[in-house]
Amino acid sequence: MTYALEIDGLSKVYGTMRAVDTFSLRVQRGTIFGLLGPNGAGKTTLIRMLTTLLRPSAGSARIEGHDILSSARTVRSMIGVVPQDNNLDRYLTCRENLVLHARMYAMASAEYNRRIDELLELIGLTNRQHDFPDTFSGGMQRRLVVARALVHQPRILFLDEPTTGLDPQSRRAVWNYVQSLTPQMTIFLTTHYMDEADTLCDRIVIMDHGRALVDGTAAELKERLAHAHMYELEFSSDGERYEKLLRELPFVRNLQRTGNSFRLALTGEEFLKPLMDRIGGDDIRKICLKEPSLEDVFIELTGKEVRE
Amino acid sequence: MFRGAIAIFWRDLLVLRRSLLSELLAVIAYPLTLYLAFGIGLRGYIADVDGVPYALFIAPGLISMTAVSAAFNDSAWSVWFHRRVQRTIEEYRVTPITVYDIVIGKIFSGFAQGTIKGFAVALVIFILTPFRFPPAHLLAYLPFIFLGSMIFSCVGTICGTMIDKPENIGRVEAVVIVPLIFMSGIFFPLSSYPKEAFAVISLFPTTAIFEGARQALLNGRVAQLSVGILLATAVIAFAASALTFNRKMSE
Repeated sequence: MTYALEIDGLSKVYGTMRAVDTFSLRVQRGTIFGLLGPNGAGKTTLIRMLTTLLRPSAGSARIEGHDILSSARTVRSMIGVVPQDNNLDRYLTCRENLVLHARMYAMASAEYNRRIDELLELIGLTNRQHDFPDTFSGGMQRRLVVARALVHQPRILFLDEPTTGLDPQSRRAVWNYVQSLTPQMTIFLTTHYMDEADTLCDRIVIMDHGRALVDGTAAELKERLAHAHMYELEFSSDGERYEKLLRELPFVRNLQRTGNSFRLALTGEEFLKPLMDRIGGDDIRKICLKEPSLEDVFIELTGKEVRE
Repeated sequence: MFRGAIAIFWRDLLVLRRSLLSELLAVIAYPLTLYLAFGIGLRGYIADVDGVPYALFIAPGLISMTAVSAAFNDSAWSVWFHRRVQRTIEEYRVTPITVYDIVIGKIFSGFAQGTIKGFAVALVIFILTPFRFPPAHLLAYLPFIFLGSMIFSCVGTICGTMIDKPENIGRVEAVVIVPLIFMSGIFFPLSSYPKEAFAVISLFPTTAIFEGARQALLNGRVAQLSVGILLATAVIAFAASALTFNRKMSE
């Protein structure tokens, strides 16, 4: 088995807080790997350690067989990083941003000019190459950040929430682009968007409190909740009253409300009748069984409380 | 080797080239105002200092002050801006260049800005006044503008690295940099100080810069003690800035 990334018991501790806790993982070459987790789960800390920005407190990791601590420079020559923020240089034009990056990798000008022309064409910014990033939309800036990470043709591309804040069209453009990079490149992606992970990732790990909770393909993770009996309920009125009532039922889990509509899980199929007995039939407009989504798996594992 | 430093230096010169005219106008205004206010305004009250016309006496200090202030400001604000606002330093750090490349690139950018702006002020003073320094004296002056800009660029890099709130960079400038510059004999001879104060102030690297610059430009003499002080300070300042930056980056 050929692995692009091997992580063994990686930890990062800040005082008493374990941001990443003995995290282990193998990612196969040429695949798109997705790391999901709520805010503060440890995703960005993990990426910062893997990209050599942060020193681990314990454990080890290898990128294409090179240790992130003892061969940090070699590791950095093999990776491309798209951070959460668009950290473009706003005093350089679009093209100059890419040239500066290429010069950091000691690429010859003939080589980088050809590569930059290709990338600008690919991301649709050829006509704007001499403009400054401040004049670009969020989607264009994001595409430029992704292009910058690809100038030196990395073996592994780290994407930290690459589509946050983008409109649906821009998100899809980034998705298509990311998909086109495999299998020549391995992609390590973190995201909050379940549909993004569902669409893009060959394999997903959901992490929380610095630890991996589940690992598998999107279909495998959803299968874990196949027993969970997800239902959708809609009432004609009195959403507040029904929410209070449903919350009091011990066999109802993961209750989510939107107006008079509810999404919930029952702890067992046998609780459907007690549920119907409690809510009565007067106000019910719709009740149906739902296929669990990746988001249901995520909420089931990480809880639904908002994190800072 | 140093490809990262060269790339960062290239970037900074590219940005400077775009705004050179407006930068020079802004940077020349302050020393020129001081020159006109003190050099011409006080001309009737201070005829000369040790036989040197007062306007000529203050000119080397003003040129050097422009250079070192520009070096400090460029390095401090540039490092702070790239670290805290644009976060481009993070982008540099995921490439194969080293932390030393970043700090050397930034120091050389500050040094280059200081030197260019110092020479621009010198040029304006030469155009506006009848004073002329022999070209050979300019050669003697080079070590002082180079080393002075280098030291202040390193100090600026330390401030831009350590300080997170931008207003604190202004405070350091007001409380440390400006007094260091103004107390070091730009506008008056050091012999004006009491004996005890003179002993302390003569050890300031700023004194070595301004006194050395004056000796070089007016007499064509390279004050070796001043060069020695500046060399030692430059080495210490560079080591301190590299160490500070490295430590900050590993936090």
